Amino acid sequence: MGLLTGAASLTRFAVEGDLPSSPWDFIAEQIKRHSFRDIDDTLDEYSVGWVSVANMFDSSFAYASYAAGDYVVLTLRVDERRVSPAVLKKFCQKEEERIKREQQIPRLARSARTEIRERLHAELLRKSPPIPATYDLCWNLADGVVLFFSTSKKAVALLEDLFKETFGLALILQIPWLVGQRVATGEAQRNFDSLQAAVLL
Amino acid sequence: MDLVDLITEKRFLGQEFLTWLWYKSEEHGGSIYLPGRGDVLVVFEKHMLLEYGEGEEREKVICRGLQTELKEARAGLSLAKKPEQARLRLGWGDQEFGVTLTAAVFEFRNIRLPKTVDRADEGEGPEHLEARLLERIALFELLCSLVVDLFALFIDIRASQQWPQELAGIRTWIAEGSQHLIP
Repeated sequence: MGLLTGAASLTRFAVEGDLPSSPWDFIAEQIKRHSFRDIDDTLDEYSVGWVSVANMFDSSFAYASYAAGDYVVLTLRVDERRVSPAVLKKFCQKEEERIKREQQIPRLARSARTEIRERLHAELLRKSPPIPATYDLCWNLADGVVLFFSTSKKAVALLEDLFKETFGLALILQIPWLVGQRVATGEAQRNFDSLQAAVLL
Repeated sequence: MDLVDLITEKRFLGQEFLTWLWYKSEEHGGSIYLPGRGDVLVVFEKHMLLEYGEGEEREKVICRGLQTELKEARAGLSLAKKPEQARLRLGWGDQEFGVTLTAAVFEFRNIRLPKTVDRADEGEGPEHLEARLLERIALFELLCSLVVDLFALFIDIRASQQWPQELAGIRTWIAEGSQHLIP
């Protein structure tokens, strides 16, 4: 769901900063450098990077380009291993009971419980498959506007960080006040910054 | 002022825009004339989120349902509640969109695009994919530009000498809305 198919939700950003004189060469190089790295066969907990909008497994853009006309179209993919708190709690209790029985002691010290929790968290994390999430974006190079196909705060924060890291450019969320500053003309432009909330009753 | 402060302190602007848009579309029978573009269809559909209060005291009320005609939401305006989200039908030429617009940060949610060629009837391969992408991007951009153009019209009134007269019209319209609820 998003740029390519179905219903969509989106957030608009203005791109702050300038691209180098050969923008497409720079974009190609930076996307390659920050493309998604699979962690299915590793012990890494987290991976974030760019893939093709057509296929989340295509991080080399073999099946579809990141360029469509004058637009850059990308999918941000993030894979993350997570352990459910309920699962961790169950395994911790089980392990604590086992140790108490084995050592014939009524209770464990706080430090021992912490050590068990940390050890089991690491073990369970390694066993859990990475959970993928994908978010599309479309960057209009001529207007310097990015449409990001999510309204989730977590996804927006991921985008802002990865975009900055990849292209060295900041994304500015286009809230009404900033749009107003940009579109106001003549008298409205002169008065805009002093606007106060109106009483509508 | 950083962005978080701007969103908090200036959220009134988006809420006033939604109120003005609703008033304007009802005043003109569901369309608004945009200089350089002509008539734009603006219809408030049966879903609205209203807010009341500030900061941690903020309360939210959802008004929806096929038979409500947003009467409850209109009455809410007369109780100083402000629209934070509205479901809109926007049309220009033969293109018609559905979108839920949020006032604080201008998010476009649950966008319904005009019908395009069925995916099953499209060809395969990179050229067809690019054509589909460009078609959808053009529609998303048209929707965004319709909203920005409407907002620009609002701003040129809101920050000019035309505002007191417009505000008087909005106040009368809100007062009329509250009277509709009196049995």
